[in-house]
Amino acid sequence: MIKTITLLRSISGVFALLLFASSLQAQEEKELKPVTRTYAVTNVNVIQAPGKKIEMATVLIKDGLIVSVGKGISIPPEAIVIKADSMYVYAGFIDGLSRVGVARPKEEPSRERVKDPGNPTPERAGITPQNDVRYSLNPADKSIEDLRNIGFTVAQVAPYGNLLPGQSSIVLLGGKSIDQMVLINNSALYSELSGANNVYPNTIMAVMAKWRELYRQASQSKSYQSLYASNRTGLERPASDRVLEAFYPVIDQKMPVLFKSEKMLETHRILKLKSDLGFALTLGDIKEGWPIVNKIKSSGAKVFLALDLPEEIKKEEKKDDKKADKKADSTKAKEVAKPKTATDLEKDALEKRRAEAITNYTSQASTFAKAGVPFGFSTLSAKAKDIPANLRRMISAGLSEEAALAALTTTPAQLLGLSDRMGTVEPGKMANLVISDKTYFHEKSKVRYVFVDGTLYKMDVKEEKKADPNAKVDIEGSWSTVTQTPQGSNDGKATFKKEGSGYKGTVSGGRMPAPVDMTSVTLEGNKLSYSYSLSFGGNSIKIDVEVTVEGDTFKGNASIGPRGSFSIEGTKNPKN
Amino acid sequence: MKKLLTLFFSSLALFSVMAQVDKGNLLIKNGTVITITKGNLEQTDVLIKDGKIAQIAKNIQAPAGVRVIDATGHYVMPGIIDAHSHIALDGINEGTNPITPEVSEEDVINPFQIGIYRALGGGITTVHAMHGSANAIGGQCETIKLRYGNFDPDALKMEGAPRTIKFALGENPTRSHGEGSGIVPRTRMGVEFVIRQAFSEAKEYSEAWSKYNKNKLVKGFRGAPPAYSYRHEVLSDILNDKIIIHCHSYRADEIYMMLKVCKDFGIKRIVFQHVNEGFKVAPELAAQGAMASVFSDWWAYKFEVYYSTAYNAAILTRNGVVTSINSDDAEMMRHLYHEAGKTQKYGALTDEEALALITINPAKQLGIESRVGSLEVGKEGDIVIFKNHPLSIYGVPMYTIVDGIVWFDREKDPDDMRLVVDPKQNIDNAMLRDKNSDLDHCMEGAEFILDSELFNANKK
Repeated sequence: MIKTITLLRSISGVFALLLFASSLQAQEEKELKPVTRTYAVTNVNVIQAPGKKIEMATVLIKDGLIVSVGKGISIPPEAIVIKADSMYVYAGFIDGLSRVGVARPKEEPSRERVKDPGNPTPERAGITPQNDVRYSLNPADKSIEDLRNIGFTVAQVAPYGNLLPGQSSIVLLGGKSIDQMVLINNSALYSELSGANNVYPNTIMAVMAKWRELYRQASQSKSYQSLYASNRTGLERPASDRVLEAFYPVIDQKMPVLFKSEKMLETHRILKLKSDLGFALTLGDIKEGWPIVNKIKSSGAKVFLALDLPEEIKKEEKKDDKKADKKADSTKAKEVAKPKTATDLEKDALEKRRAEAITNYTSQASTFAKAGVPFGFSTLSAKAKDIPANLRRMISAGLSEEAALAALTTTPAQLLGLSDRMGTVEPGKMANLVISDKTYFHEKSKVRYVFVDGTLYKMDVKEEKKADPNAKVDIEGSWSTVTQTPQGSNDGKATFKKEGSGYKGTVSGGRMPAPVDMTSVTLEGNKLSYSYSLSFGGNSIKIDVEVTVEGDTFKGNASIGPRGSFSIEGTKNPKN
Repeated sequence: MKKLLTLFFSSLALFSVMAQVDKGNLLIKNGTVITITKGNLEQTDVLIKDGKIAQIAKNIQAPAGVRVIDATGHYVMPGIIDAHSHIALDGINEGTNPITPEVSEEDVINPFQIGIYRALGGGITTVHAMHGSANAIGGQCETIKLRYGNFDPDALKMEGAPRTIKFALGENPTRSHGEGSGIVPRTRMGVEFVIRQAFSEAKEYSEAWSKYNKNKLVKGFRGAPPAYSYRHEVLSDILNDKIIIHCHSYRADEIYMMLKVCKDFGIKRIVFQHVNEGFKVAPELAAQGAMASVFSDWWAYKFEVYYSTAYNAAILTRNGVVTSINSDDAEMMRHLYHEAGKTQKYGALTDEEALALITINPAKQLGIESRVGSLEVGKEGDIVIFKNHPLSIYGVPMYTIVDGIVWFDREKDPDDMRLVVDPKQNIDNAMLRDKNSDLDHCMEGAEFILDSELFNANKK
């Protein structure tokens, strides 16, 4: 008994010590103010604005603003000098619509059953226009870093939800707190033409009817409130209504409605609502706008085109053909002479139309440029890592580099009403800059530095060096994986097996009821990437994992469609 | 292959031109013209100018630059009209509430569905694209013309056609709401109740607004307006006969009930859809000027449709009810002329009566009979040219023409007529799905309610 007590005492003593030590450490880790907020980027090619270049110049930044740009600028002694010899500096990119840094709601309220599906609460119906996306921002969200690493510094972010989830904000892709991030709050009323799960309004037609009704009810209650405010005689006191009041700035044309407008028919329907009700409209994440570019133009809506593109058709099949040819040289002649069957012809024709369709998507931006419609870009449904390549695809489909840059900088600044403070590299503008080692749109270009509001972010290029194409690693066997998600860490298992010259694999664990086959596995040097798909209630979600293998461990990212990417680590399990 | 591709590209070029030109000029020479309303005219020409029938006569000289179709030995008849369909729509049932008149199919027209082109291949030119039958008072429907090739959904609308709305009686609304969600209506009595309740509320609503608008004219008036309700606005329009009711119904008792409801609320325009037991109440329907749109011979697919007869259309017709034959189905729509022909076996209708079931009669039911449904000077140039008589089993539509423009030509019918292509897959899902269209389309989109625990619990 005595023994136990002493033991307990000593344990508590250790505990106290530990606590003390940790509080000491916390004090040491307390953040210091930066020594200086002055930076000089020297010897750099300055792309001040699309088509406006100064070679080998200096950009001087002080306290979050660009102070001077040009040659022969004297550098103050307190400045941190960034020798950006022969690199390129651009204005930081602006994203017209995304959910970067917005925390996903933990529970989907749409699962619960409602007693009377025809009369749900506004919250259950997805009607919360009074909500403010600021309350769901997470400055530590990895998506912010991902997007910043490819040059974006500002984004208009929208809350999660379907019909009227709330109001968007324009945020900086940096900052430690929500308030440091937010540049403009309540920038737009965000909406999507999608219905609530199993309750009214469930279909698009009901969503449109509800939209019209809410807008008209808001107009009515707004004019009644002002009537009451001017003279109360003989009038009932108007009740407060959070939902309808959120429409007031829209009715006053002080706030635009920002719609996600991916599909062509969706765009038609949104334009119809606009022409019925007359609000100021911003169309976000347009993916199929090319056939109706003139209709969009004449509507006067502001336009953000999606940076997401359909995947190109892989040319694997042709490779296989070649291999087959090599193997069977003797039969080659016969095969060539063999006429195509009707099925082959039909397949060819279908494949051709699909290729044409992909070209249409890829050349959308150039179609808009030719039609003279000013546009920015949005990253809502795009994966950050695909964006530079997608921009290059748009450029090779006819968009000029200048127009691409304008769509990333000057035009979105103008569309968001921020031209006075961003979009170009000029004195007086916010120090939002992106510095790449080659011209940004060059295939091998890498972003090296990004400034957000005068704060420097240096891109980690170490990991790239680690990727060694000649390294030889053995991935065969089973691996335990840990993925960090906002809902906590998620344990899983990945198994790889050699097959021919490649690998096959399965994934299990997490919430998966059964192991899932990987759809692709590629190993180049020590760079391993694999993909698999999960289906939830009829929706299929593709997960792409990219890691660098070192011995018996790997580290990298798992990206889940447009929902963001999470860090993943793996350890190889000893062979049984 | 080359020929195929050329055809394909020429068709694409055609599309882009067509999308801009909505009305055409055309001379159809030397066919047997089935006017529907004014008998048959042998070896006669039909001239369409600017989308409208300008002349029907022998030996019309082709004006310069006008395309001529030689219809020698062919039959020229008005484009077929389907008074009950669910094609060209993104969303059929807002099945969450028994009363949803504020929703409208007008908002969700999908001009890309391949079924539109296939329907043209069956000689269809006008379609009543309807809301489903999950609700007692469903959504508003849209009368569309099959101008397949347009990218703008509005280009399919038949501009100026009267507004219509879907109602539904019997098992579908009681299953969806009573059994599915545990709310009224659970029985046929409940269906009557929710309809009467909605109409009564709408009456109060419009009376409150007229009172308010009247008061507002008085100098110095102070007061609040009634709260705006989109639902009650539309219901008031029904009471004011601005919208034609198209009421899904099967049993004679519920049909007679609905006739009484209309009488009580002073509603004059109603068309009963399906109406399998319409033959039992045909005189009552005729007396109230109510119309009927039926299947030729489809029944026994659920309990309430067991008491049916293929003589339904003939009995209704002989009793003076304006009757049409509809498809409610993308596949059946392609041979409505066969469906009409069945009334000659079951009921011995004349050619003219049988063809009226798919032309002028559905036009009357949609309120567009002054514009389409027969071949008369001044009417719109919606025409189908048949090889062999349309009521013959050998009848084949060769050309389908809307507003004087040839939208379907059997001789130039490329393999791939999709307007938009999914960049992720080669073949449209719709192509595969359309094959399984033997389901009850009227309930599409409301299945989730039928899958619910409550529904299954009640079933036990």
